Amino acid sequence: MKYAFFQGCNIPIRIEQYASATRAVFNKFDVQLQVIPEFNCCGYPIRNVDEKAYILPSVRNMAIAEKEGLDLLVICNCCFASLQKARNVLSNDSRLKDELNSILAKEGLQYKGKARVKHYLTVLHDDIGTDKIKSKLVKKFKDLKLSIIHGCHVLRPREITQFDDSFVPAITESLMETAGVTSLDWQGKLECCGAALAGINDELSQRLLKEKITGALNAGAEFITPICSYCHLQFDTTQKNIPQADRDTELLPVLLYPQLLGLCLGIDETELGIIQNSTIEADDIERLKSLLGPPVEEKKKRRKKVAA
Amino acid sequence: MNINILLGLAGTICLIGLFFRLSIWFSQELHPPASPVTIGQRIFDSMQSVLRTIFSSKILLIVKSLFVDLLFQKRIFDKSYLRWIAHSLIFFGFIMLLLMHAMDSIIMDRFFLDYQSTLNPYLFLRNLFGVLVLAGVAVAVFRRVSLRSQRLKTYPSDWAALIFIAVIILSGMMLEGAKISSYTTYQNMVEEYGSFDEQEADALEAFWVQKNGLVSPDFKKPQPEERVAYGMEVNGDSCMECHAANSSAFASFAAKNVAQSISAAVGDSQALTMFWYLHILACLSFLAWLPFSKMFHIIAAPISLIIKGISGDKSGETATLLTNQMIGLSACTHCGSCSIECSSNMFFESFQNDFILPSEKVQFLKEYAAGRVTDKADLKRLQQGLYVCTSCDRCTDICPSGINLKEIFVTARYSLLDRGIPEVSMLSHFSFPLALAQSFAGDHLKALKTVTNLFRKTFKQLSEITLPMTLSKSRNEKNSSFKSCFSCQRCTNICPVVRSFENPVESLGLLPHQIMFSLGLGNTDLAMGSKMIWNCSTCYLCQEHCPNGVELCDIFYSLKNDALNKIEAGVSS
Repeated sequence: MKYAFFQGCNIPIRIEQYASATRAVFNKFDVQLQVIPEFNCCGYPIRNVDEKAYILPSVRNMAIAEKEGLDLLVICNCCFASLQKARNVLSNDSRLKDELNSILAKEGLQYKGKARVKHYLTVLHDDIGTDKIKSKLVKKFKDLKLSIIHGCHVLRPREITQFDDSFVPAITESLMETAGVTSLDWQGKLECCGAALAGINDELSQRLLKEKITGALNAGAEFITPICSYCHLQFDTTQKNIPQADRDTELLPVLLYPQLLGLCLGIDETELGIIQNSTIEADDIERLKSLLGPPVEEKKKRRKKVAA
Repeated sequence: MNINILLGLAGTICLIGLFFRLSIWFSQELHPPASPVTIGQRIFDSMQSVLRTIFSSKILLIVKSLFVDLLFQKRIFDKSYLRWIAHSLIFFGFIMLLLMHAMDSIIMDRFFLDYQSTLNPYLFLRNLFGVLVLAGVAVAVFRRVSLRSQRLKTYPSDWAALIFIAVIILSGMMLEGAKISSYTTYQNMVEEYGSFDEQEADALEAFWVQKNGLVSPDFKKPQPEERVAYGMEVNGDSCMECHAANSSAFASFAAKNVAQSISAAVGDSQALTMFWYLHILACLSFLAWLPFSKMFHIIAAPISLIIKGISGDKSGETATLLTNQMIGLSACTHCGSCSIECSSNMFFESFQNDFILPSEKVQFLKEYAAGRVTDKADLKRLQQGLYVCTSCDRCTDICPSGINLKEIFVTARYSLLDRGIPEVSMLSHFSFPLALAQSFAGDHLKALKTVTNLFRKTFKQLSEITLPMTLSKSRNEKNSSFKSCFSCQRCTNICPVVRSFENPVESLGLLPHQIMFSLGLGNTDLAMGSKMIWNCSTCYLCQEHCPNGVELCDIFYSLKNDALNKIEAGVSS
């Protein structure tokens, strides 16, 4: 399998470890991720200003992937939603499609809608499959409690993103379970990290963030796993920017899904860039490693249950 | 006119230009710092950091930079082979010609005791280097033409630089070609260096006509073999010691046919004089033009690259920062690599604002720093161009001159915002990376306030409207799903933003269900003016939970678009 690797603007410069960990994980399953330097911004940042200007960049990105004959594998939620939105809009509006195609034609591109847009979790869960992942596990977590925050734009609006059940998402739960992680049931799981308001209303943005940090800690989380790059930056950067005095909780360390799965697949922690998460300390990594056990444990238990 | 006078004149203009450009490094700035820094302070600080670097282990970084960045030009090599080939051909060929040909009396005569410009390998090498430069220019022209569709902008000044270089080389080749075929030159040489009897002279001339490209009034090609063979003997005895075969000057030898036809038209020695003047004037004008053009990069780019090699993209003290930014701006060659890779390139297509492209911003920022941009419309476009940026830092990563573009752009952004022109794209997610970086936090808030004030002026709040409100015909909204709303308030109850306020109506103006209601009443302006839409976290919970399929979040987006358009229309009217 080979995909055009769509990282967006934030990941290559601010969350490089998300890309490298994802790449390392997909390598284990012989999935190639091809970097395409011609990709541009997905359009998301301009959406408040101009809807058409928001659609065009995603159309160009899909046209580039189409030219390469590849589907897109996306690791940023907001990019994912923008690409899916553009697909959806153009499939219902042929006049707009022609208009945008005439802009793309200047550089020899054309959007036909052939390239599919896939979130990396969908590829892991559906295309590779949890059985195959399980067969490659060399370790598995035991008693690792963490809070997952999905990020809004991968789930909603469901008819656009077509990712999962937007009220009871199952893909993430199943993937967490595969790695032996206890994904906590907590109040912020499907809610907003506040990123969309940063720089527009910082106070409100941080209020939403702090509410999530407190919520996760109260639920007993040792780590938080954001799926979206914007959520990641909120938890990994903005959380540290909040002055100590304004923070009524300890720092909640961030651990990305490919990083925790990578550990279970026996990938070295430096290759997964775990220490590059600015909220994680060396002893957090030691703690993580101490929670890793043999991958077969669960089966044994099940057998015992059957015997009993 | 004497060549020395011309050279002196060109050299003086060049020196004045250099002084002028260098003084800009220390006298101009993009954004005046809170506490002013004097020119003296800036020069002193720069000198200090130069000395501190030279007398430390960092000198090794400079040496590394000299080889890797300056001679090999690795930054170009890493990004584009085509550009690297073009630039290396021009760079290497031109430098070699400068040292071996233009400065032969200073360098070659001193270090190569047997140097004669008419001997090989020099005769051959001069042509080789010339051809390398021309090949480089050809690749550069091809690149500029073929990448036009990739938003590579080319100014007349970019063409001028390429044309200048091509004219210098071509005029040199024509001059040499004219000399090769020139009978006058031949006669002068024979008179000066040889003493032949009539038979020897005839044979030699026949040989030169046959083999060395001479055009003689008496001898025409082909010459009898024996005579040529005898002439070759004479040539070997008397000429070869100081003059290699003209065919080794292969480019000029090929150019001689063109040169000869001009010589035939205007006369032999007139053509020589003409080409000589053309060549010398092209070279000297290039020298004089250099500091005033993008060719100044041959001085500024190495310095910019060394600064990057030493300090990466870390900002220094205020004084050094201001100076480094000005050095950076002057090091731009307008190669356009940044604009080709710019993540915002499609926003340029949508808004047709050149300043969204980084390479175009830089050109204008030079003018801005010099205080020459005063037109409000220009400033506004530049400001939008600076703001419509995803902060992906690709431009900084790719810049072959190592300019810290991201820092220059952020500084310039707040410098422009400081002038108080409201920037509506501040209310977009382009603000996110800026909030994350926390630089210019105070300036950001201040600029945000000018936009919010404009909102207050443009839109009436519910409390300012005389009641009762009348029902007016709904405008033709893009998204009419609000018509299905029956005010169950599920949206408002689930909204994480509404929940964040003790008194949400006071803080947010209208609540989500009220916005749908006001659209139902046909009062779009009221909806556009509510603070709610700008405090919407776009989490889509309302839309997902609406039992009637009202697409609230999408409607908010389109209200935001419309509100900004209305404000912009108000500002420009």
